[in-house]
Amino acid sequence: MSGRPMPVDAVPVDAVPVNALQGALAAEHGAIWAYGVVAAFVSGRLGAQLAQATSAHQAQRDATERVLIDAGALPVPPEPGYLTPEPVTDAASALRLAITAETDAAAAWRSVVERSPADPDLRGAALEALTGAAVRATRWRASAGTSPVTVPFPGAP
Amino acid sequence: MRSECPPRTWRCGRGTHQHGVVRSGLPRVSRHRASPRRVDHGAGLQRTRALARWSAVSADGPHRRRVLAAGATLLLAGPVALTGCAVPIFVPQGPDPLESPARRAEADAALAAAVAQLAAQGDPVLAATARALAADRMTHAATLRAELRRVRPRRSSAGGFPPVAPPKADPDLATARGALTQAVRAAHEEAAGLVMTLPGYRAALLASIAACCASHAALLS
Repeated sequence: MSGRPMPVDAVPVDAVPVNALQGALAAEHGAIWAYGVVAAFVSGRLGAQLAQATSAHQAQRDATERVLIDAGALPVPPEPGYLTPEPVTDAASALRLAITAETDAAAAWRSVVERSPADPDLRGAALEALTGAAVRATRWRASAGTSPVTVPFPGAP
Repeated sequence: MRSECPPRTWRCGRGTHQHGVVRSGLPRVSRHRASPRRVDHGAGLQRTRALARWSAVSADGPHRRRVLAAGATLLLAGPVALTGCAVPIFVPQGPDPLESPARRAEADAALAAAVAQLAAQGDPVLAATARALAADRMTHAATLRAELRRVRPRRSSAGGFPPVAPPKADPDLATARGALTQAVRAAHEEAAGLVMTLPGYRAALLASIAACCASHAALLS
């Protein structure tokens, strides 16, 4: 109520949903790895789209790691390797992997929205990440020609 | 007990009775039980004069008036406190914040369906996009309505929602596309704004709706 900043020890313990953020960070690591694989199969206009997606996930990874370190948590590292749902052998399967990576990221960030307190900082960042993942997944679906192009509730289980 | 509590003797007198019971606002049940001293008005009145030294008298020991007052307070405040514990954690006061996005979703679905019908011949791509948008917004509306009913079943069954007027799609396809884009952007903004204020589950629901609307806006633009 007063203009004074809240003392550090008055901040509630669950002000930062560490578990949900670790899940989001793990999803970001996975997405960055997946786009590394996808890059081997796409080029041209899709290549530009892919570069944009990769740098977005890298920025989110860095930001999430910072939030976790500030909250006193050790950010989860990337896995040494990931198992794709299906063998990635051509552009079509590469696009499907990209869609999977964005779907996973959307689910992880929706969980952060749900578990974070109603403050615009963290929840706003999580909403932005969820929206970004949904839009990229939509673009990949449109490129792959899958139908339907959108899902009504991106990130919903 | 009686010997330990001297104030009781003079509070049984007629004068003190009014003073002690009526003024404190206690109901009749709080009156102390009949005692042999009650008929002894002489002694009672004499002791009533000692009221001038109330503080000296009331200082010793737990006082019955205070005990009764505390009991009455507990009786009155108890149910309120218990009711306070029993209410669900989230019951929106006033209009439910989800009513507006629910109506908007219905209006958007109707508009998108109209655009899809209009563009079926001239622009099949726009028609397909509008059809997908209509389907998604319909799903949003149904889910939001379900959530509204879940939280306040009585209000919904009473028919608190006026029917949405079916929007008119502009016969010019470019204008229709623009109107659809504008509608879906407005829906995204409204949902994104609500995400910041609503509790967890509803925030996640609106976040997904906002993300879906942003996806459609990206497809349309």
